[in-house]
Amino acid sequence: MKVSLNWLRRYLDITVPLQELCDKMVMSGFEVDGLEDLSATMRNVVAGRIIKLEKHPDADKLQICQLDVGKEEPVQIVTGADNVFEGALVPVALHDSLLPTGTHIKKGKLRGIASNGMLCSGEELCLKEADYPGAEVYGILILKEDCPCGTDMREILGLNDIIIDFSVTANRPDCQSVLGIAREVAVALKTPLRLPEPKYAVKGSGQIGDYISVEVRDMDLCPRYYGRVVKNVRIAPSPDWMQQCIKAAGMRPINNIVDITNFVMLETGQPMHAFNLSKVAGHQIIVRRAAPGEKITTLDGKNHPLKPEMLVIADADRPSCLAGVMGGLESEITEDTTDIFFEAAKFRRDSIRRTSRTVGMRTESSARFEKGVDITTVEYAMERALQLIDELDAGDIVPGVVDLNNGLPTPRKLTVEPAKINKLLGLQIPAETMAEILNRLDLPATLENGALTCLIPSRRDDIEGRADLAEEVMRVYGYHHIVGTPIKGEIVRGSQTPQRQAESLLKSRLTAQGVSEITTYSFINPKALDLLGLPEDDPRRSAVPLLNPLSEEYSVLRTQLVTSMLTVLATNCNRKNPSARLFELSKRFEPKSLPLTEQPLELPVLSIGLYGAEEDFFTLKGLVEEVFAAFGAEPDYLRSAEPFLHPGRQAKAVIGDEALAVFGELHPKTAEKFGIGTKAYVAEIQLSRLYQTSRELVIYKPLPKFPAVERDLALLCDQELPVQTMEKAIKKACGKLLEKVELFDVYQGQQIAEGKKSVAFSLLLRSPDKTLTDQDADSAMNKVLKAMEELGASIRS
Amino acid sequence: MKAALEAMRESVRQQLDSVSDLKNLEALRVKYLGKKGELTGILKQMGKLSPEERPLIGQLANEVRSQLDAWMGETEQKVKEQLQAARLQAETVDISMPGKKKPTGGLHPLNQTLEDFIDIFQSMGFDVVDGPEVETDYYNFQALNVPQDHPARDMQDTFFLNENLLLRSQTSAAQIRVMEHRKPPIRIICPGRVFRADEVDATHSPVFHQVEGLVVDKGISICDLKGVLEQFAREIYGPETKVRFRPSFFPFTEPSVEVDVSCPECGQKGCRVCKGTGWIEILGAGMVHPNVLSGCGIDPEVYSGFAFGIGLDRLTTTRHKISDIRLLFENDLRFLKQFQK
Repeated sequence: MKVSLNWLRRYLDITVPLQELCDKMVMSGFEVDGLEDLSATMRNVVAGRIIKLEKHPDADKLQICQLDVGKEEPVQIVTGADNVFEGALVPVALHDSLLPTGTHIKKGKLRGIASNGMLCSGEELCLKEADYPGAEVYGILILKEDCPCGTDMREILGLNDIIIDFSVTANRPDCQSVLGIAREVAVALKTPLRLPEPKYAVKGSGQIGDYISVEVRDMDLCPRYYGRVVKNVRIAPSPDWMQQCIKAAGMRPINNIVDITNFVMLETGQPMHAFNLSKVAGHQIIVRRAAPGEKITTLDGKNHPLKPEMLVIADADRPSCLAGVMGGLESEITEDTTDIFFEAAKFRRDSIRRTSRTVGMRTESSARFEKGVDITTVEYAMERALQLIDELDAGDIVPGVVDLNNGLPTPRKLTVEPAKINKLLGLQIPAETMAEILNRLDLPATLENGALTCLIPSRRDDIEGRADLAEEVMRVYGYHHIVGTPIKGEIVRGSQTPQRQAESLLKSRLTAQGVSEITTYSFINPKALDLLGLPEDDPRRSAVPLLNPLSEEYSVLRTQLVTSMLTVLATNCNRKNPSARLFELSKRFEPKSLPLTEQPLELPVLSIGLYGAEEDFFTLKGLVEEVFAAFGAEPDYLRSAEPFLHPGRQAKAVIGDEALAVFGELHPKTAEKFGIGTKAYVAEIQLSRLYQTSRELVIYKPLPKFPAVERDLALLCDQELPVQTMEKAIKKACGKLLEKVELFDVYQGQQIAEGKKSVAFSLLLRSPDKTLTDQDADSAMNKVLKAMEELGASIRS
Repeated sequence: MKAALEAMRESVRQQLDSVSDLKNLEALRVKYLGKKGELTGILKQMGKLSPEERPLIGQLANEVRSQLDAWMGETEQKVKEQLQAARLQAETVDISMPGKKKPTGGLHPLNQTLEDFIDIFQSMGFDVVDGPEVETDYYNFQALNVPQDHPARDMQDTFFLNENLLLRSQTSAAQIRVMEHRKPPIRIICPGRVFRADEVDATHSPVFHQVEGLVVDKGISICDLKGVLEQFAREIYGPETKVRFRPSFFPFTEPSVEVDVSCPECGQKGCRVCKGTGWIEILGAGMVHPNVLSGCGIDPEVYSGFAFGIGLDRLTTTRHKISDIRLLFENDLRFLKQFQK
């Protein structure tokens, strides 16, 4: 809410410095979002009267002016303008002045004659015709005869003002107005508030009923509709003070009638509308929901098809106003308007909110209705508008009022125990102090038998109970009184969820392997799923769409983390980071059905992405193994068939019949689609099942007492025979004697037949009870060889 | 003979002085003490001595032998030490050369900050809980005292999945789930990811992170809230940090406050970080609204509580002076590695 300091001063005296005012308002709940000193752009420019005009002796186009600028001595200025004349009142930039254009003016000499400043055009003062009449005329601006010589131009132009932008919280719609803010300033500064008390003469002939009949058909959306008629309207510009107020609030002055509606809205927070009575068909106002197929053209010239849930103000023929949002073009106030119907109403906020959203129009009026206007302010605002009509002599007020409502509320009585307020605040504020604060807030409070009774006016609908009153008391009493107390109760360390503990474990394992954590958005572009080449029936295609995404790029909830990882790998690769080892621990969203009927499953997933000279399929597999090892799991590794991975360099890790991980080298086509210009490796691991494994306490196993026997085994086999199969067979054949089996070489090429490979294992055999003899070892190795032969692997001689 | 032995002893002593390697030493040993060495040579002449002289010379010869042995041992020790010293000297390295290390990874800066938070609050007895990211309108709004079409819904633009399901716009949603299932005393924090339809720019992200805190018990007051937040602020910003409450509005707390801390950058002298005010806003908080408590079956006449919500992203960026929130989600390794020290 932008509030002009000058405007505020109409209702109370502000004697404290600006900073103090702002600080006090901040500490009572009104943050200052911005400060604009309108006067800062101009300095030392005054109104001056040309008392003498002479030709410059040495220049045909220059004239020497003697100006009365309100000082004893006239000031001499040389000007090149030709629209000046003796007796003209003009803006004079004196020596050492600043213009809004940023120009500094200093005294000097023009063709040998001293010139102590400059006469200004409207343009040089950055003025438009609407700011000051004649501002866009070529030449020096000729001022109206309404101020003495020497008057600061800022005063004339309404620039001697500071605009404070107060942030108003959603619970205080009553402060969407200058008076609302003034009331708060008065409390913060402990200064009396001067509320305008509307008085006016009723001069119009007849009765309101002679001019208009009003009917509210949908009172559920319009709890109060209030109207008056003004005859013989005299359309003219509004006075300067009103224009300056309206401009300070960021609006444009139009004419006296429209300006009065806007001024009253800004002052009281109650939006108003003026209808041109001659354009209201049948002299009938009907407040109703729109009928199917109806349309309206609003003041801004736009056409809107109307929906039946929208509230309109219609005449006998058609909708003439989109209630609370914008007036219709048809009934607009124009130069030749003679009679008007003034409307002040309360419309239901959710109705206005929806209409405003649907038509895509947010106006000063709709913004206020959405937050909620006070049902009693409706009448006050109308009275105020009529007072201004009378003061500006803008028309003749017709007797009679239209006031349609379902009953008006009386102030609510709220009784609370001060002790309970103190308990909530942890303070000992005397009950009398509480009552005094509430009274200052214009929430009449009395104390009786220790109970505090408060009358809550309708404008403070936000106050429902004790907690709300506690807040009102506290924000005025001052939050600096709150002194922190250490937390009470049993001293226990808080617990972690098992999932978070598992995550910590995973993270420490991965970071120890040189993998860095990344964080990416939870929503992705559905096209990324195409880039992965997933078939149409792949479950990862069932991504939950957002109803209102920011853009297609972030429009569905991700069902996998691979695409996000690939995007990050691409970023790093394109920025010439030579290598990367990354992981992300996040969630994937799996809908139980689409369209969504209930919350989707949120499943924990780990993704790993690598590239760089040191990386290959097996460095990736090593990390995958590390992850499973962290949970004591030993999956089987089987070939997989993900379309986005290298067909011969990808695998899945399977436990039971569940594939918990897929990983491998990125398919060159996928790499190209994601813009990754190097070999990259990616893994995705499902964690739900791993998180369920309970971590067991380590139990110490005695260190071996007897020496081990080491045997190497070089085998020749088909190249397709998986090493894992051989390893398993070795373990089975050796039984308990095998302490460790390690693959140490795989070779294909020279001396090895086509389609074959050489595989070498190193075995460590040990018995817990004795030193193994060569015979023991040989017998174990024979069993191994036999098992290998069954697999088609023979000893390599 | 006695003279010969004495002379030999003296000769060896002198020669040992100039021995500088083990080879020369061994040669000396062979020459004098070897089987065919000089001492043996001298002793062979013992037969020529008189019986009276023999034991005396024998004793002297033994003395000389053990003395030479000892001297040679000492010399050997000395030479070995000299040799080792020379070798160590030769092995001197340029200690300014970089150390060899295995690269380690690190946590994302957001999660580093989160770990700090969790640690601080766990030490004050807060349990860590989690809630779903896809929430129902009820948990995200209605149960938090924000009915349909309430103007407070405009305070944030929410991503909807359908009429009833949405991406939670605040971790406060988790408060309700906790209060429905636990009875007071409750002391929890709920860290998590939240979503708002904000266009991406240097200070806004549609995805960000919050840590929600909730305490419900008998006799909890706003002073207790301040105590907890003071403790938190001091651990994050240093022991001298001051905490200031400013009145504000959140639908689910009453009274509601914005919480500022004394600017850690300038010590309240006024700087760019605090925009000259000496304070920086770090979180929103308040006393749990009675409607929220009773909605969860907790009697507000018996219990009271406080709640707070900290924006993790903003706290991380201000703490590390990260100029653009987008850096957090871009994951450029040159950025990430800076936090792995």
